[in-house]
Amino acid sequence: MEVELAAKIVGGLKEAGISFVAYLPETRLSQIMPLLREDGSFMVVPVANESEGVSIAAGASLGGRPAAVYMEGSGVYVSSYNLLVLGKRLGVPMLLIVAYYGSVLDKRNTFLYAFPGIHLIPILQSLDIQYEVLDKADSLEDKIKGAVKMMHAIKQPVALLFTGEFTA
Amino acid sequence: MTRSECFEFLAPLIKDQLVIGSLSGQRVEWGSLSRHEGNLLVAAMGAALGVGVGLALVLPHRKVIALESDGSLLLSLYNLPTLGNLNPSNLAVFVFDNEVYSGTRISEPSATAGKTDLAGVARSCGIERATTVRDLESFKREATKALEENVLRFVVCKVDKTTGHRQIQRPNEDLWEHKYRFVRYLERTEGKEIFKGRG
Repeated sequence: MEVELAAKIVGGLKEAGISFVAYLPETRLSQIMPLLREDGSFMVVPVANESEGVSIAAGASLGGRPAAVYMEGSGVYVSSYNLLVLGKRLGVPMLLIVAYYGSVLDKRNTFLYAFPGIHLIPILQSLDIQYEVLDKADSLEDKIKGAVKMMHAIKQPVALLFTGEFTA
Repeated sequence: MTRSECFEFLAPLIKDQLVIGSLSGQRVEWGSLSRHEGNLLVAAMGAALGVGVGLALVLPHRKVIALESDGSLLLSLYNLPTLGNLNPSNLAVFVFDNEVYSGTRISEPSATAGKTDLAGVARSCGIERATTVRDLESFKREATKALEENVLRFVVCKVDKTTGHRQIQRPNEDLWEHKYRFVRYLERTEGKEIFKGRG
């Protein structure tokens, strides 16, 4: 991903009010990490497992810092139990920043990524988690702001799935 | 030593601390002994410690207490390396380890009935003050230090296998109501808005 795109994502998160990011890095969007760390408005927390990312973000969110979890698409599978019991059943708002690998628009798609990619959206649908697929930088900040507004309105997780231009 | 005896000692000491609990008998017993608005009993295995870490990080001036169990922690051991690295000084973790899976009845032994030493795992993950207590006096000593000192503590409490919680009436409060009570308490005591009605 171009650095300009990473800067737009980070700028969009900041403008939308996100101030806490738990993360387990991957390769497609990882250019956002140094920018998140450099910007003093984010508390950035590395985790060992996406489930843990969801539970820590839940605590941060309930403690008053609008929170996000940055993960690879596979992280949705790994964290699905905590997304269900904390995100949905308890009702905790958080933004899922998901590198949507294995999509039709994933510029690095291979046999490794395609199968998890194919099942990612059905997993989110089965959890009834609202999501938006982003494949271009057009209106990026507005879409991030809209997703954050949605997560606060329904007090549940909302996912942004980054693919296309973001996976170059 | 029973978990209930530990809770009977701990509950009256809770003032403005935040208490995050996990599932099963622990949730029922703590919920019956403590009506503290700063209780958040998430009712899920493997989630309480992470929620406690998140709260401790964003509210560094508040003491946060995570109540875990052996089964719940074994399900989420990935929390320990992160906890060791982050080292939140305002967090105290109590793991009530009865060495068995015991929801509605005493079931199968957990790994801690075998060779697994959870305090040893925690220490190897960098949590320096990780210890195991096996009697009530030791628990009282560790619990008192955990509440008074501003340092990460991880206390594995070896407790008897009991099903006393089955005799306790369940609270008539669903999880969203429970969450709102907790968040409104935090809003009031922290003087800030957390949940905006309009989103």
